[in-house]
Amino acid sequence: MCSTREVAHPLLPYPATVTKIIDETPDVKTFQVVFDDPAILENFGNKPGQCAMLSILGVGEAMISITSSPTRKGMLEFSIKKIGRLTSVIHELDVGDKLAIRGPYGNHFPFDMMKGKNCLFIAGGIGLAPLRSLIDYVLDNRDDYGRVDIIYGARSYADLCFKYDIFDRWPKVKDTNVYVTIDREEEGWDGHVGFVPSYLEELNPPSEDTIPVTCGPPIMIKFVLQGLDKMGYKDEDIITTLEMNMRCGIGKCGRCNIGEKYICVDGPVFNLAQIKQLPPEF
Amino acid sequence: MKKVIENLRETAARLLQNKEAEVVIGWGLGSEAVRTQPVFITSPDNVDKLVWNPFCVNGLTKYLSDLKTRPGKIAVVVKGCDSRGIYRLTQDNIIPRDKVVVIGIPCAGQMSYTKLASKMDVSGQLNDVEDKGEDLLIKTSKGDFTVKKSEVLLDKCLTCEHHNPVVADHVVGDTINTCPTPDNYEEIKKFEAMSTEEKARFWLSQFERCIRCYACRNICPGCTCRECIFDAIKPDWVGKEINVSENELFHLTRAFHLAGRCVDCGECDRVCPMDIPIRLLNKKLLKDCKELFNMEPPGSTEEGGSVLGQYRLEDPEEFM
Amino acid sequence: MANKSLKKVQLKSLLDKIAGSGQLIAPIQSDGITLFKPVQSGEGVVLDYQNAVIPPKDFFFPQSEKMFSYDTSDPTWAIKPEEGVPERVLFGARPCDVKSILLLDKVFDAEFRDDIYIDKRNKTTIIAVSCNDCRHTCFCGAFGISPGEAEGADLLFTDLGGRYLVEVLTDKGSTLAAECSDLLSDDDGNGPAAKEKAVAPAKEKQMNIDLEGVKAKLDNMFEHPIWAEESLRCLGCGTCTFICPTCHCFDIVDFNNQSSIGYRYRCADSCQFANFTRAAGGHQPRPSKMERIRQRFMHKLRYFVDRYGDFGCVGCGRCLEKCPVNLDIAQIINKVKEVG
Repeated sequence: MCSTREVAHPLLPYPATVTKIIDETPDVKTFQVVFDDPAILENFGNKPGQCAMLSILGVGEAMISITSSPTRKGMLEFSIKKIGRLTSVIHELDVGDKLAIRGPYGNHFPFDMMKGKNCLFIAGGIGLAPLRSLIDYVLDNRDDYGRVDIIYGARSYADLCFKYDIFDRWPKVKDTNVYVTIDREEEGWDGHVGFVPSYLEELNPPSEDTIPVTCGPPIMIKFVLQGLDKMGYKDEDIITTLEMNMRCGIGKCGRCNIGEKYICVDGPVFNLAQIKQLPPEF
Repeated sequence: MKKVIENLRETAARLLQNKEAEVVIGWGLGSEAVRTQPVFITSPDNVDKLVWNPFCVNGLTKYLSDLKTRPGKIAVVVKGCDSRGIYRLTQDNIIPRDKVVVIGIPCAGQMSYTKLASKMDVSGQLNDVEDKGEDLLIKTSKGDFTVKKSEVLLDKCLTCEHHNPVVADHVVGDTINTCPTPDNYEEIKKFEAMSTEEKARFWLSQFERCIRCYACRNICPGCTCRECIFDAIKPDWVGKEINVSENELFHLTRAFHLAGRCVDCGECDRVCPMDIPIRLLNKKLLKDCKELFNMEPPGSTEEGGSVLGQYRLEDPEEFM
Repeated sequence: MANKSLKKVQLKSLLDKIAGSGQLIAPIQSDGITLFKPVQSGEGVVLDYQNAVIPPKDFFFPQSEKMFSYDTSDPTWAIKPEEGVPERVLFGARPCDVKSILLLDKVFDAEFRDDIYIDKRNKTTIIAVSCNDCRHTCFCGAFGISPGEAEGADLLFTDLGGRYLVEVLTDKGSTLAAECSDLLSDDDGNGPAAKEKAVAPAKEKQMNIDLEGVKAKLDNMFEHPIWAEESLRCLGCGTCTFICPTCHCFDIVDFNNQSSIGYRYRCADSCQFANFTRAAGGHQPRPSKMERIRQRFMHKLRYFVDRYGDFGCVGCGRCLEKCPVNLDIAQIINKVKEVG
């Protein structure tokens, strides 16, 4: 689960321009961007699950997962939740504005190992953003993979990201099921109500030949992992991601370590067996 | 000294035994002969770890701020200079006075590790210290050493306003009757006599060395802001870049934040790894406050606060 | 190249010569403090110092360094990397500090080679100087470092009384020795034996710390109460990390002075600071001093070994000497060995 590369100036970002902005939720926007130098994107070589450092010069940098699949050519997409100084400034951007990007960083989802298998994607809130790069990768190479089940939840209907994917695009792809839930009853919502982990247990999708991949808030991941354990998945087959504060993205600045692993280069993608080897400090 | 140690341990044991304190913060033996290290005793069985000797340089009052959310009372051992830190903390509402049990030790002066290390092999374990009047006999596992006190005394102890703690719920050791020797600010006067250029040259060359480790801030009983402006991410008043201009801004801002509040314990000087004479800045402000407002060293009395933080109707308002 | 010899009286001439043909960085003393600084000549270079307060690491991984400048009013944002350093010679690095640079290489000259660091590494010729004496806080021997060896340096000088033994360790060193050949003579063959004698006091005097079993023990000590205990007295300052020759953690920050022109710099950061791991949104995996001091000692004595195959400490003793509360890594090592 590792792939990194040599770059001339690993900490030097490249200017890019916002070409499209989608309001996902009250605090999440998706930004479609293209590098000002098209050659950079051609050689970017990002794989599903990898991240990039986004910056506004003069404000700062943050590691953001690339939410678009590399199968979607000609642009990169980042879904960004407004939580701090930098993300607030990014949320103020308009189409045509610039940001700076370096990357891609980190390992990636094991899309090769998953070939021929069924996929179970479980996400909560903004956690669908990193998974979406893998989901689109799988659906764009539909015949390489088995059944696809996507379980996704958010606090409310308004907090669901990628509504155009979960309600429109993905369900139309063959042999693909999307199960959406929200935490509490809400007027106008006739779908499932409840937390993601309990929805997972309720649905209890068949586990044979299936690789579960989960992303979301830590508390959701904790209970999803317990549920998957009950369903008989092996730790080695359960895939999730870890998040830590990062600066350099290239395994040098020293702040995103959990034990001897640096999340920026050895992660963010881990299987549960690997996570159990780490000191509990995340 | 032995009697003081005995007394100290008995007092600590009693406080812990009777649940009058949940923890006693004091000094224990350090990893080298002439160092001590802060220790946190929670059981009467461990009071033997507490020591008192001329190497108890660390001020311990700042730990009250760390431990203030612990249940029960906190006992802390203080020397005269440190004791002013108690009132700093209570006046700043960092910790209520009744949460703290103060064990005061009258102190005739503490010895500088740096000075000692230049005069003797400090690498052994301390066996005993004997006060021989002018001299100290320091018995260590690497041999016995006699040093002249006057040659190894901490500079700050050459002038001392409070040999006896200004506050103590329990005093261990005999009151010291030596007259206090208030600072007559001779050194500050020398600086005041310098030209602006000379002062700038001196201070910028000092600030240039600063590595912004913040030891001076972290040891300081006057530095207890919930979020220090040097840590604030938004707005970032002082940049993280280490250069003389950011460093200068750091030191001057810190000095002004402490104007009228600095208890002059001198710990900022001691902890600075780059030997920047930080205390001189505070001294200048102490001198000014003394001259302008007849201010006693802050923290000398329970009442009060910061002379610059008080407002009285009869205050002149020349600046308005 | 065979060992060379330099008359002690000619050292200043040698340093003058080096300073005359490029940048020379050497230990000098001001305000009673020894620091490595760029110097114009051999004048004032101190030779009998035991260790500079700040390690020479600073010339490869400066506490603060500009990475690039930008101008957001320019349609391309004009992102310009900083220019590299000139060719230079670092004189006077002690064996422990030379070893620390090899450890930094493992971090910076690895996957995603750090061009800013590597530029400085490539352009610096290191003249190490053996230790004839040591501080009481030294324990380089624990990490297999000898006061008279300096793998990683280009030349190694050893004070033999009236002369220096000059050992040529690399091609770079050989080039520099050739440039200074007028001042160097061939060693008479007695150099190596004399060196052993010269560095013997530093070997004998230093602390004897045995690391046997410490890593294995730490592998199972993440949850040990020792960390909470030792952390009580920690002030949470950055002294130990900023004076450490192997600490390499940094932050990346933009400076813009409210205009379109600015620069991005990196600066040393400390795992002992609360903000170090605090993420936007509030995630804080190391909320107290306990987690932070555990990280520091675990990083040096366990994680670094797992990741890079070597301890992340060289026994220079700086943190022992400067920690204001006597949180002493040598004492921690001994305690780790004792506890159950």
